[in-house]
This record gives sequence, C-alpha cells and structure tokens, in this order.
Amino acid sequence: MMSKNDGKRQAILESAYRLFRVQGFDGTSMSDITSQVGGSKATLYSHFPSKEELFVECMMAALQNYMSDTLKHLDASRSDPQAALRNFGTSVLNFICSSEQVEVRRLMIAEAARSGTGKLFFDKITALRAQISSFLAACMASGLLRRDDPDLAADHLGALLEAEILEPLLLHVREAAPDEEESAAAARRAVAAFLRAYAPTAPPIKIAAGPNAHLKRLPPHEL
Amino acid sequence: MKTKTESKRQAIIQAAAEVFREVGFERASMSDIRERIGGSKATLYNYFPSKEKLFFEVMHQAKEHELEAITSELDADADDLKRELVRFGQKFMTVLYSADAIAVRRLAIAESRHSDIGKLSFEQATVPIEKQVAEFLRKVMKRGALRTADPKIAAIHLLSLLESELLQRVLLGVIDTVKPGTLTGAVRRAVEVFLSGYERH
Repeated sequence: MMSKNDGKRQAILESAYRLFRVQGFDGTSMSDITSQVGGSKATLYSHFPSKEELFVECMMAALQNYMSDTLKHLDASRSDPQAALRNFGTSVLNFICSSEQVEVRRLMIAEAARSGTGKLFFDKITALRAQISSFLAACMASGLLRRDDPDLAADHLGALLEAEILEPLLLHVREAAPDEEESAAAARRAVAAFLRAYAPTAPPIKIAAGPNAHLKRLPPHEL
Repeated sequence: MKTKTESKRQAIIQAAAEVFREVGFERASMSDIRERIGGSKATLYNYFPSKEKLFFEVMHQAKEHELEAITSELDADADDLKRELVRFGQKFMTVLYSADAIAVRRLAIAESRHSDIGKLSFEQATVPIEKQVAEFLRKVMKRGALRTADPKIAAIHLLSLLESELLQRVLLGVIDTVKPGTLTGAVRRAVEVFLSGYERH
C-alpha cells in the first residue's frame, strides 16, 4: 500500500516532471514546484535535497517508462527480427535525441564528477542494455546472429545507433532533435553495419581466451 | 602595452589547465588563474579575452593537435588494414581517454549551454578528425580493401565503435581512468566489428 509519504513524493515527481519539460531545468525553481504541489518548501526538501536530485529522479522515471513500453516489442521469436531491430533503433534514437533526454544526459555528465549521480544514471542505462542483450542473445541462439558476448554486441549496437546524431546535440552544435525520417535513416545504416558485423558467417571476436585473457571486458562498475 | 611572449602564454595555459581541473570550468575564475601566475588581470585579459577562449585553448593545446597528428598518420596503402586500424585506434584512444582529455570533454558538454565552447570543440576537433578518417576510408574503399559505402558514415561508425565500451562509463564518472590492457581489448574488438561490418562480401 502506498503510504501518505509515497503519495506526496509521487505528486512532487509528477509536477516537477511537467515543469521541467515545459520550462527546462534552469527555468524551473524549487518554489515553482512547491506552488504546484502545495505544501511547504521544507517538505519538498525533505523528499529531495536538491533540484538536481529531483531532476535526476524525474528523468529516470521517463527512462524507466520508455524501457517498459519499448522493450516489450523486442521479441526475437517474431518473423522478422531484422525489421524489429531497425524499428527498435529508430525508436531509441527518437527517445535519446529528444531535447529532454539530451538535457538529462548533459546534466548527468556535468554533475557526474561532483555528486555521483552519474553512477545512478549509468545503472539505468545498464539495465536498459541488459534487456537489449537478452534480445541479441535470443537472436544468437536462433542463428540469426553469430554467437558472441551479447553485452558486447549491445554496446556495439548502441554506439552505431548514436554515432551520427548524438554528439552534435550534446555539444549544442545543433538544436533540433531528428525527425522520424532522419532517425530511421541513421538507424537503418547502423543496423545494416551491425547485422553485417554480427552475421553468422562473420569471424568471431575472441573475448578473453588464452593469451588475450587480460583483455577481457569491464564489469559494469569496475576498471 | 608589453609585448606578448610565448612563454607567458604557455604559463597562463598551464595555470588555467590546473585550475579548470581542480574546480571545474564554471567555478574557475580569471582571478584564480591570475593568482597562480602573478601579474595583473589586464595582462591576463590581454592574452585571453575570456574564460571560454582560455578554456578552449587549454583543451585544444592539451589534446586536439595530438589527435589530429595521430589521425593524419593513417596509411591507406598499409598491407594489413586490421593492423593499421588497431595501431591507430590504440594511439588515438590512449590520448582521448587520458585524464586531461576526459576532463575537458566533460566540461565541453557541461558548458555547451552557456558558451560556444561545445560548438568550438566540435568544429575544431571532431569535424577535422572525422574528415581525415573519412578520407582515409575513401582511399581504402577505392583500392577495394573495404566495400564501397559512404566514407563519412563509415568514419563516424568507426570512431563511435572505438569508444563503445568506455564512453558512457567515462562521461558519467563511473571510471576515471582506463587501464592500457582494457583499452587494448576494447580497440581490438571495435576494429574487428568495424571490419566485419564494412568488409567486402
């Protein structure tokens, strides 16, 4: 059962999320949020010690919703997993290149060194990747892709998807999020390169065998 | 007005690099930097008209010319393409993932809202490097060692793959430095995937 406290917290998150989306991070003050939710500023601060932390929580909620909405459509048992991967890629690009998500990422990077919020955000990204990994693992099991480390494959797919559009957005070189057509084209090129690279006939990438054992991959939080 | 000297300029850049690293771009002030080198504020502004310009100079000087030099060594006629790409990737990533380069990259993204340094870093560093890599790949495609594709897209894919295992961790501060062995493995895997994705069938 949701306690009174949880209810208040949820109400704060919802109002804050609306405000952040409309007014942006800089344009939204803790006072704005208090006047929307009601109650005192002290109550607000008892739930969220800073605007940054409140923002992180709000934006993680968006990522969480996105994950549960989109990833359930990734089903390797469907008739055309290649098309599924392209559609998924387009959807991911539309999401991560939206102005809200670019702003989230920029703020996370800015805050990472100071507050440790970067690790929280990284955990969410890792959870997202784990679901992509299991889709790719299923594709490997069914012979559509060659057998390899599915987490590595997910990293490579993610990098190819982000390659064309994300950096100029992060650096404010361009402002406009890609439209559906641009996302679809970038996703098509990324998925084409990925499918060639991971085709059943492509040579395997040795992860950590024999003399290369010291080159094994990073566990999520370690060096 | 006194004549500007290169040694003074370098001393300012050195001091600024330290200050930016210690307190971050936003909290660093021109006064902090001046205190570290002595002299008047007017002298400092005579060399660098703004904190943004000084930051960019630090960044550019620290790493970008090194990255461009490494990229310009790419030899499209190398007999062993994989070896050439691994050699390039290794040197390139070692510079790009040094502590200094990571710090300035984080700052460029963090500050891009408030100043033009994000844009400057993209236009003066990212774009020239992508162009050089694209030109290299165009020649490799022309001699038939890779399938014909848009070399600009292929270059962006290659550079992105090189960072695929490390970028998020580093930008989000999950790890601060990258061990040479980790880098070597990530580069080799990225090059192998790139070649499989772009080889002729």
